[in-house]
Amino acid sequence: MKNNNHKWILWVVVFIILAAFPRVFGIYYINFFAAFAIFSLYAVTLNLMLGYMGVLSFGHAMFFGTGAYATALALTHIQGFPLLPAVLVGGLAGGLLALILSPLLVRVTGTAFAMLTLAFGQLIFVLALKYREVTGGEDGIGGYPIPPLHIPGVASIDMTNQINFYYFAVAVVAICLFILWFYTQTPFGNVVVGVRDNSVRLDYLGFNLSQTKAINLIVCGAFAGIAGAVHALLQKLVSTVGVLDISTSFAPIMMAYIGGVGSFFGPIIGSGVLHLLEDLVIRFTQRIGLVNGVIFILVVLYAPTGLVGLFGAAKAKWFHRGKAS
Amino acid sequence: MNILETKGLYHDFSGLEVLFDVNLQVEEGERHAVIGPNGAGKTTLFNVVTGTYQPSRGKVFFKGKEITGAKPHKLTRLGVGRSFQITSTFNRLTTFQNIRLAILSKKGIRFHLFHKVDKMEDITKETEEVLKRINLDRERNMPAGMLSYGKHRSLEISLALATEPDLIMLDEPTAGMSRDETHYAVELIRRLTEGKTVVIIEHDMDVVFSLADRITVLHHGEILATGPPHQIRQNQAVKDAYLGETEVERA
Repeated sequence: MKNNNHKWILWVVVFIILAAFPRVFGIYYINFFAAFAIFSLYAVTLNLMLGYMGVLSFGHAMFFGTGAYATALALTHIQGFPLLPAVLVGGLAGGLLALILSPLLVRVTGTAFAMLTLAFGQLIFVLALKYREVTGGEDGIGGYPIPPLHIPGVASIDMTNQINFYYFAVAVVAICLFILWFYTQTPFGNVVVGVRDNSVRLDYLGFNLSQTKAINLIVCGAFAGIAGAVHALLQKLVSTVGVLDISTSFAPIMMAYIGGVGSFFGPIIGSGVLHLLEDLVIRFTQRIGLVNGVIFILVVLYAPTGLVGLFGAAKAKWFHRGKAS
Repeated sequence: MNILETKGLYHDFSGLEVLFDVNLQVEEGERHAVIGPNGAGKTTLFNVVTGTYQPSRGKVFFKGKEITGAKPHKLTRLGVGRSFQITSTFNRLTTFQNIRLAILSKKGIRFHLFHKVDKMEDITKETEEVLKRINLDRERNMPAGMLSYGKHRSLEISLALATEPDLIMLDEPTAGMSRDETHYAVELIRRLTEGKTVVIIEHDMDVVFSLADRITVLHHGEILATGPPHQIRQNQAVKDAYLGETEVERA
């Protein structure tokens, strides 16, 4: 019961911080926080493959980027396309791509999976780069209208206002994160973890491996697509280098590892750490990758379970000592 | 009635014949042991029957229905359970979660997305009952990979049994166990497979002769003899090929 109360207090505090954030900080930090939230969702979808199902995707940007492009294209070409459908289109596109690739992806594990996703990721990247008529090539797509959030009979909220958009983005990410967290708690979520631990045994327990893996891939793809869609709305510009390139694929991997693979909240912490770090480092040098790389190496070497794992170990040690004395 | 039957089963690993015209018949309700020296093809026979490999030739029937080459998850749903020679559990999940996955499968809950699994009380209750029955309720929250060897083997056997199959295939359930652990495991198997059909691969002859109703001897991928224990004990060909050898080894 006490534990439950603590949890409620924690959530209320988080809610107040999120709500008060734009009142306290300037526009720069509002966008900074929105970007952090979007990448948190994106990194969580990667971790649902890496930490939960046990496969490493080196081309995760393809889901993120496809979602972003789908939203940008819908807003550019369809006049008066509303806001929520624009976000859903991104999710649908990401999920559809995962559905198309799943017959191949469910057949491989380990290095083969990583290489296959890398290949498809690069393929989509080149496709977006070369298919200029649709994607605008290197320039990407920009200048599309950001529709207002229209709640029938209540209000129409202007989304070009950055504070309003901040609330919208954070709400979408929070809802998605809740859905994904719930997803990990369902029987199906448990079966997915079984794939990671022992796929042969899972097969012999009567679970259809291919279907299980495919559904998880589609869920990851769809939510990564939603993250991409919100990203497209935030940046008001979608270009290959911004959403489809290899560094967009690697960013969530670093976030997941730094925060803690296998923990649901780990990638969110990782995303926060990397975003803060970038904000800090850029004041001194342009070479953010160098600093990120060093941190990544340190984490992999000395804290393979990430910050969440470190925290857990510290807590266990502390708790243990308290008990002994 | 034969619950499991193989007809003219052949299997080869790129030219190396491992199974040669195997006609195995397992009657419903019996405990059937498959014995034979190392490399006789016992585990391969299991793998071909349970869908790990496709046979090169021949057919497999379960309850009179052909199941040749059917995928493991399909067979499990039909009612075939199997344990492995090399312990194969979900090592990072707790003992409870291991058994719970089997219970979920038994209940046909595979793609359920609308409830938290922790809140499904009937599942929790049933899982706990199973844990109690196999004496692992004290290890409930321990990751399977941290269990002692004997307990880990018990969990392995229990995973095969928890889906409540009609036919249970145990691949060397007592492999690597101490005398006490073996004794305990045999009791466990006897208790949990009451009235069910069991096919068991075993090297420990004490276990085989105390547990099995019928024995099939496999040698170089061929069936040398099939029959009740006392017949097998006296069979000259079996003595020459297998039982004799073990006695020499023991001496």
